[in-house]
Amino acid sequence: MDVTGILDEHKNRFKSIQVERLVPVEFDLGLMACFDVNMIDEAQLRASQKARDTYLQELSREGAQLMINELFSLPTTVDEDSVYATLPAIRTVLPREKPAPKEKPMTRWEKFAKIKNIQNKKKSRMVYDEEKAEWRPRFGFKGVNNDDQKPWLIEVPGNADPYDDQYKARREEKKERIDKNARRAQRNFEENLAVEKGMKPRDMRKRELQSALVLSKGSTASMGKFDDKLAGEPKVKGLKRKFDPLVKNSDKEKSNNMEILNRVSKGEAKTTSVVNVRKAQRAINNAKRSKKQEK
Amino acid sequence: MLLKPKAKNARAKRFLVNRDPKIVENGKTALFVRGSTTSQVILDTLKDLYSLRKPDAINFTKKNEIHPFDSETSIEFFARKNDSSLFAVGMHSKKRPHNLVLGRTFNYNILDMIELGVERCTTMQQFKAQTCAIGMKPLMIFNGEAFNQNEDLVRLKSILLDFFRGEAADKVSLKGLEYVITVTAGPAGANGETGLVFFRTYTTTLKKSGTRQPRVELEEMGPSLDLRVRRVRQPTEDMWKQAIKMPRELKVVKTKNISRDGLGDKYGRIHVGKQEINKIQTRKVKALKKHLDDKPSKKQKTSNDMADSD
Repeated sequence: MDVTGILDEHKNRFKSIQVERLVPVEFDLGLMACFDVNMIDEAQLRASQKARDTYLQELSREGAQLMINELFSLPTTVDEDSVYATLPAIRTVLPREKPAPKEKPMTRWEKFAKIKNIQNKKKSRMVYDEEKAEWRPRFGFKGVNNDDQKPWLIEVPGNADPYDDQYKARREEKKERIDKNARRAQRNFEENLAVEKGMKPRDMRKRELQSALVLSKGSTASMGKFDDKLAGEPKVKGLKRKFDPLVKNSDKEKSNNMEILNRVSKGEAKTTSVVNVRKAQRAINNAKRSKKQEK
Repeated sequence: MLLKPKAKNARAKRFLVNRDPKIVENGKTALFVRGSTTSQVILDTLKDLYSLRKPDAINFTKKNEIHPFDSETSIEFFARKNDSSLFAVGMHSKKRPHNLVLGRTFNYNILDMIELGVERCTTMQQFKAQTCAIGMKPLMIFNGEAFNQNEDLVRLKSILLDFFRGEAADKVSLKGLEYVITVTAGPAGANGETGLVFFRTYTTTLKKSGTRQPRVELEEMGPSLDLRVRRVRQPTEDMWKQAIKMPRELKVVKTKNISRDGLGDKYGRIHVGKQEINKIQTRKVKALKKHLDDKPSKKQKTSNDMADSD
């Protein structure tokens, strides 16, 4: 039985998916891009717009066909009645939009957990509340741990004074917990800052205290000059002001004055703007013009 | 220099954390700005590119005094405020008609940009084809060896790949390959100057082909642009190096010392260091004590018993 006829008929029913290219096309499937270095028919591109567009469409169709062939041969996963092709890693180097994040320094707890090899147990967000027979968040709004926001009754614990306000006690405990957490976070921050600067945290605190002391000393009416010094306090070093003697060498005096003159007139006008020459000139010109108009 | 804003509630904090540098980054947002004078051609181009780039795109409809090649401050300010790392500025002047500047920023500073003259633009509305859904990833085709050789075109290729990349994805739905962007390098000019670049966009239809891979048919969707490369600003060496630096977490870790044989069994190799056999701590046997060798006459009752019991 000759089946070649039937096979040929079947083949001719569908259009070919083969594309011929002299130089193999490079693909970057991670980006879904292809780079074709084959020779382009320049005559077609220089021709009329319509011919050019038809040629470009043909070229694009072939390129797209090649890419579709590649994409359909990738490993696939089926998910919710649509087929997904797993893309490989990107090969072209593309720049990031922001630099890579700096590594955050470890907190005290993290260092401890690392030594003791304590793993972080992931807890679920929702917890089943037996009493109310519903799912509630573990923390936060309508959370399981916030039940005692305003309980209608609090038993006085055995060791407490019966006249103490237990509601107030609860509020204060919660506030203390929050403050403790904030203090610890602040301590972590300061320690990491000190480590970044290459100092021990204790030394950094010492330095800060000393500079604060010096500043506070000078905040009196007489700038701390007549205050009694405590025993063992270090001598505060201030800025030493140097004054030239009244009667100077005449050459030196001349050169100093010339320097000042130069600075004021031209020399450093551009950099230190002692006198903004442009503005001054404009002011003079405006004055002259207004004088002329008056006349 | 904008001050770093402080978050006053959790929502604001989440917003700021989203904009912080990350290991795996968000998709890049593109900003479309108009210059002080514009032409209809360039406005159409900007509008079409914006619709291709949605939803990760911001369109400024007011005119701005903006000259990217002369002053970088306005672009950097916009990038910082809008958290956009791609920008497209359109303007028109007698010297540079229908001017389109495409560029990227790194860490809110201009990384590189390319100035293109739009010599012809056919908008999406002029083609009667059905446009594709918003947010689809396009297939990109670059035709011509000039894209590997000509420095300006290499830069253009890099910028266009970044521009139309869309969200980073590690898998793609085979039904969602809806459109194709083709960039072809035209013939070079007489003096070796860069030729026209033909930018074409098509929608795809996949037809049966009797095999697993379908047959692709294209229909032009637009925009269709003929671009002339004008000025190019290449990135500085160190900025480029910093920009392509991959964070350590993303580097692929090679699995060493693990292999599979033909039957599928997994084999591992354990490297044991050099062992000092003389210094290994074994069970203490009195008979093996060194000083007992000096007095051979003494009877070793216990050790003999032990020997017998073995």
